[in-house]
Amino acid sequence: MDFTFTDEQRMFRDTIYRYCKEEVAPLCEAADREGEFSMEVWKKLGSMGLLGLPFPEEYGGSGADFTTCCLAGEAMGHAGLDGGHTLALGAHTYLCGANIMEHGTEEQKKKYLPGLATGEDIGCMGLTEPGSGSDAAALATTAVKKGDKYILNGSKTFITNAPLAKVFVIFATLDKSKRHKGITTFIVDAGTPGLSTGKPMHKMGCKCSTTSEVFMEDCEVPAENILGGEGAGWRIALGGVEWDRSTLLSPFLGGGMFMIENCARYANERRAFGKTIGEFQSIQNRIADMRVFLEAARLAVYRVAASKDNGVMLNPLLASVNKMYVGDKGFEMCSAAVDLFGGYGYIHEYPVERGMRDAKLGQLGGGTSDIMRMIVARFMMM
Amino acid sequence: MIDYELTNEQKDLQGRMVAFCRAEIAPAAAELDAAAPDKVPEMLRARFRKLAGAGYFDLLLKADFVSQCVAGEELAKACPATFLAAMSSGTAFGMAIQCFGSQAQKTRYLPGIAAGEFIGALACTEADAGSDLSGMVTKAEKKGDGWVLTGSKDLVTNAPVADAFLVLAWTDREAGLDKGLSLFVVEKGASGLAVGETVETMGLRGAPTAGISLTGCAVSADALVGEAGGGYALLGRITEWIKISLSSMSVGLGVACMEVSTGHGKGKKAFGKPIGLFEGVGAKLAVMFTLNDLGRMMTLRAAWSTDHQETEAPILTASAKLFTSESINKIADLAMQVHGGHGYVKGAAVERLYRDARFAELAYGTSEMQRAFIARDSLNRYKPA
Repeated sequence: MDFTFTDEQRMFRDTIYRYCKEEVAPLCEAADREGEFSMEVWKKLGSMGLLGLPFPEEYGGSGADFTTCCLAGEAMGHAGLDGGHTLALGAHTYLCGANIMEHGTEEQKKKYLPGLATGEDIGCMGLTEPGSGSDAAALATTAVKKGDKYILNGSKTFITNAPLAKVFVIFATLDKSKRHKGITTFIVDAGTPGLSTGKPMHKMGCKCSTTSEVFMEDCEVPAENILGGEGAGWRIALGGVEWDRSTLLSPFLGGGMFMIENCARYANERRAFGKTIGEFQSIQNRIADMRVFLEAARLAVYRVAASKDNGVMLNPLLASVNKMYVGDKGFEMCSAAVDLFGGYGYIHEYPVERGMRDAKLGQLGGGTSDIMRMIVARFMMM
Repeated sequence: MIDYELTNEQKDLQGRMVAFCRAEIAPAAAELDAAAPDKVPEMLRARFRKLAGAGYFDLLLKADFVSQCVAGEELAKACPATFLAAMSSGTAFGMAIQCFGSQAQKTRYLPGIAAGEFIGALACTEADAGSDLSGMVTKAEKKGDGWVLTGSKDLVTNAPVADAFLVLAWTDREAGLDKGLSLFVVEKGASGLAVGETVETMGLRGAPTAGISLTGCAVSADALVGEAGGGYALLGRITEWIKISLSSMSVGLGVACMEVSTGHGKGKKAFGKPIGLFEGVGAKLAVMFTLNDLGRMMTLRAAWSTDHQETEAPILTASAKLFTSESINKIADLAMQVHGGHGYVKGAAVERLYRDARFAELAYGTSEMQRAFIARDSLNRYKPA
């Protein structure tokens, strides 16, 4: 048992934090207001090696372990990066890149990872469909083998990064009657005939990440682009959960730190009835609750990372626990931060407003909190 | 390198405690709760001897809070009242003597504490002094080589069974909390010491509670623990240990609530299926699991931090105490709801657990006090220059 990060990990986190605070975060506020993905932000993240952090060095990455990847996410959130850009990074590096890293052939890794690592190519993953969200095994996109090709037909929705993506990791079924066992994953290059994306969607939060539908109409994919073999799709999707429940949640931790700092500073400055509002207990209570949330969430997220790094089988129950807690409680805390700022909390210029909109996604994306409770309950009733 | 798993040694300890508690402690938990106040001391003493045989008090006297939490959770799961009584003797009294006592005090008290034969208690709270001890009245006046204590203490866990009390008293009222308070050991039978009638508590009834009064109670110079005037600082340390212990108590209670609720969810059928398969009930089980699981992590984190003397240990401890004590109240409430009317009757395990749970948020620093402490730390950190 050990709760301390290595010196190297701490130094890395501090370096990323300082860089992001000075170089990246100042760009985020305007980008969020415009609801625009910032290529400048993206390039800066790429130049720091953050877009290919877990990839092996021979493919242009840094070979970072799970814990270090989470520390990077935490540092970015702490520095004040918006949830949109960190989500774009999550979809790109972990949902697209890490899946290729873990399940790809040597050729696939050589072909795709270096471009993803620099950020030159942007990646996305398509699992959700208009008719299947949390019940992912019900997906309807079909893949039919034809000679040395597969023909994909169907559509995906809410696909983060799709409007900008060069590399699409797409889940389809070879035989819908087989449910999970028919699901197969393909790498589809942008520009493949029959592949198109819809208009970018306007979202409540995480506005700087681009989101759209993906359409496949007789989209021909060469057989060598199959990821992990026929029928491996469900295993790939489940494996991705580990990344999802740790690295993708880690920016929320940093976001929590950012929020507490902002709230504490504001509470120390803002005065009412002759004293700082921080002297009122109801304000203190909010700050204390944020702090306690943060401690619990930190343990939840890093526990997944540590189990992966130390080769301990992850209890799937715990992944759901994390997602539910960080999602639900995180949103509640962001809402409390808005309360603490009063009317100012409702205004774009103050970072807590953005934080609350961004945090809502934590309860929805990658499996809703309702589904998480169902999963946990199912385990308990076994 | 972070590693949140228990070590093999800790897992072994856990396994031994599970087996011991299942055989020796859990079966009579309901009986202890329902016992008449005059029967409790004898029952408790028997349990203390068994706990001593299992090495539990030896563990409480060692500064290894992670292991204490691992074992404590199992004891609290089996019988929260026994846990509280054992903690009050082994940690609040025993560990205090171990860390701050003189050699003579250690020799006199610790073998008995470890053997479960000698029972200790901590007496700080008064009618007008709880979280804010400045309202305390009890004082100790120097007389010759010794001291004379006058005052009274409220809500002293273990008082009806205690062989000795660790009593907080003013030695110099003018010097204020930081320098004016001192800790004394007052043994049962000391002239001027009287133990009041057992107070009937809502829950944790197996940890008997009473007030004590000190009327010109003379103790020798040897009764002083640590330095005169150093009592507040020592009490701060003792309270830290207790908060960690209480956190593990909440987690153990949580497991007990979950076990009975999951059992009920599987066994009770409605509309043709086990009620746990309905989403409304299932979601409650899931929330119980989540809060308890994260509470355990926070407790271990605080314990580890204290073991390793990290500077953030007090904040992590307050956070764990706040989180687990609020969680167990939520968990017990959900457990009751899962049971429906069957949980509301005397004799139902969940009825007892529900009453026991309420203690956690009140004792050794209310949730209000924990929040104030935690918030102050954040506010101070970001004070304008």
